Amino acid sequence: MSFIPSKRWVLWSLVSFSLVTLSLPTLIIIGASFTSGDIIQFPPDGFSLRWYRRLWELDSFIDAFGRTFVVSLICTVIAIPIGTLAAIGLARYRLRFQQALQVYLLLPFTIPLVVSGIALMIFFGEVRILGNLWPVGLALCLINLPFMIWSVSATVNALDPELENAAYNCGAPPVQAFFAVTLPAVMPGVITGALLMFILAFNEFLVSLFLTDARTVTLPVQIYNSIRSVITPDLAAVSVVYILVALLAVWLLDRLVGLDIFLKSR
Amino acid sequence: MNRSPLSGSFLDALEAVAAALWPVRLRGATGWLFIAPALLLVGLLLIGLGYMLEYSLHELDLSTYRLQEAYTLGNYAVLVDQPVYRRVLLRTLLAAVLVTAITLFLAVPYAYVMVRTPSSMLRKLLLVALFLPFFIGQVVRAYGWLIILGKEGIINSMLDAVGLPAMDLIYHYPAVVFGLVQYMLPFAVLLIVPAITAIGEDIELAAESLGANWLQAFWYVLLPMAKPGLVGAGIVVFTLTLTDFAMPEILGGGTTDFIASSIYDSFFQLSNAGLGAALSIALVTIGSVLVAIVFHLAGAGTLGVRGQAE
Repeated sequence: MSFIPSKRWVLWSLVSFSLVTLSLPTLIIIGASFTSGDIIQFPPDGFSLRWYRRLWELDSFIDAFGRTFVVSLICTVIAIPIGTLAAIGLARYRLRFQQALQVYLLLPFTIPLVVSGIALMIFFGEVRILGNLWPVGLALCLINLPFMIWSVSATVNALDPELENAAYNCGAPPVQAFFAVTLPAVMPGVITGALLMFILAFNEFLVSLFLTDARTVTLPVQIYNSIRSVITPDLAAVSVVYILVALLAVWLLDRLVGLDIFLKSR
Repeated sequence: MNRSPLSGSFLDALEAVAAALWPVRLRGATGWLFIAPALLLVGLLLIGLGYMLEYSLHELDLSTYRLQEAYTLGNYAVLVDQPVYRRVLLRTLLAAVLVTAITLFLAVPYAYVMVRTPSSMLRKLLLVALFLPFFIGQVVRAYGWLIILGKEGIINSMLDAVGLPAMDLIYHYPAVVFGLVQYMLPFAVLLIVPAITAIGEDIELAAESLGANWLQAFWYVLLPMAKPGLVGAGIVVFTLTLTDFAMPEILGGGTTDFIASSIYDSFFQLSNAGLGAALSIALVTIGSVLVAIVFHLAGAGTLGVRGQAE
């Protein structure tokens, strides 16, 4: 019989490798942001907060951060009603062309981001809205919309339609039944979706690269542009902002719906 | 539900408005009303693609640097004739295959351990390690690798400290593939996890009690049963790699252009919107055809947004 490696050992080495690969950049960035030297090296020169102080003085980054926040907010605010309604509509109503509708609504995922970005840049340019912030938010909502629909449809499918029928039978008119029964029941999905939309817009880079200019540049684009020149620790300090926001989002997601929700079988 | 009269009358008014705007005879179309905003939003993308298609049919006039009026397939002919585009396409396709294979190879054990471990602490750690990079975003992650692998990065300064020569860890193909695998891992794991959750632990135990070793149980029982998840994850990883821009740019440093880089360069370096649009249409077509083939051969996997309308 040939040699069979122990299951435990094989699984553990593969998972550890993945864990290290996933976490190493994050840990290194955090470490690098606290260096007192002018360049990033190992062993580090010493501990200091100077790059954070410098960050605070860099208006371009502060402004970009503010714009990124606004764009993400716009994206989320648009996504919540549109995505929720679409998910309910798809799951609750017998629509003709169901298959085609799903393919259509998945277009933002199936069309490469680089193509979507440039296509929207051309379109927004033609209707002369390029250069504003809100079209960026709208575009980010568009390209990530399937995430919102996915999150909500999971909870719609879990909701027993008899509950809505019970509301109708008890005399609730349709609008009231919607707000008192359907909406509260799908709320966990709406919250998950909204959180995903916000965080994905917050770190979206490629589409933003095409839709922003020097006056409207958002943080991920700003970081990308700075990477191309010299690597200095101030970029690490900016990146730590991202790590903190991501940590906050993971924590919120866990508190609000529980990360275990992603372990369920569909 | 305990409501004040005020909100009661407000709700009645709302009901009246809704009834006036959307009379009972239209009730059958309520579903369409619900999805109409989403259809319109995605429609913006189609309009953009329409412009793209139109651009792709006009060649660049080199004297004015504008697109000519006449319709032509010249841009597509350039793509076929110039070997550089075939090279870029092959390089991107190869990367997509490699990244998909390596990512699935790493994602299956990760998802398996995450689902099967009895320790809720470990499960949470694995989940957080998965979501954190996903939420941090591609640019910041690529920057992290740049710090680690760069010419004056952590590894090379460590080598330097012990007197070893510096290594070229970055700005080449393997670095891009590695960065992409790390980027794709969360997507793949999250798509595989539901499939593994659906497989009862007793099925594996049954296979093992019938004399299969764990590798056989994995290969002949677990993987075939998890196929929908594997197909879904494979499709997502493959298409995302095929169209990625940031990793080849940042970790490849311009030495390993992918199709997305060529599209970007056509638009913004060559200022040839016609050629760039033709490349874009070609990329959309190639991606869709490949995905359609996989769908046809293996089914849609876990990707269908199937709503169970009663």
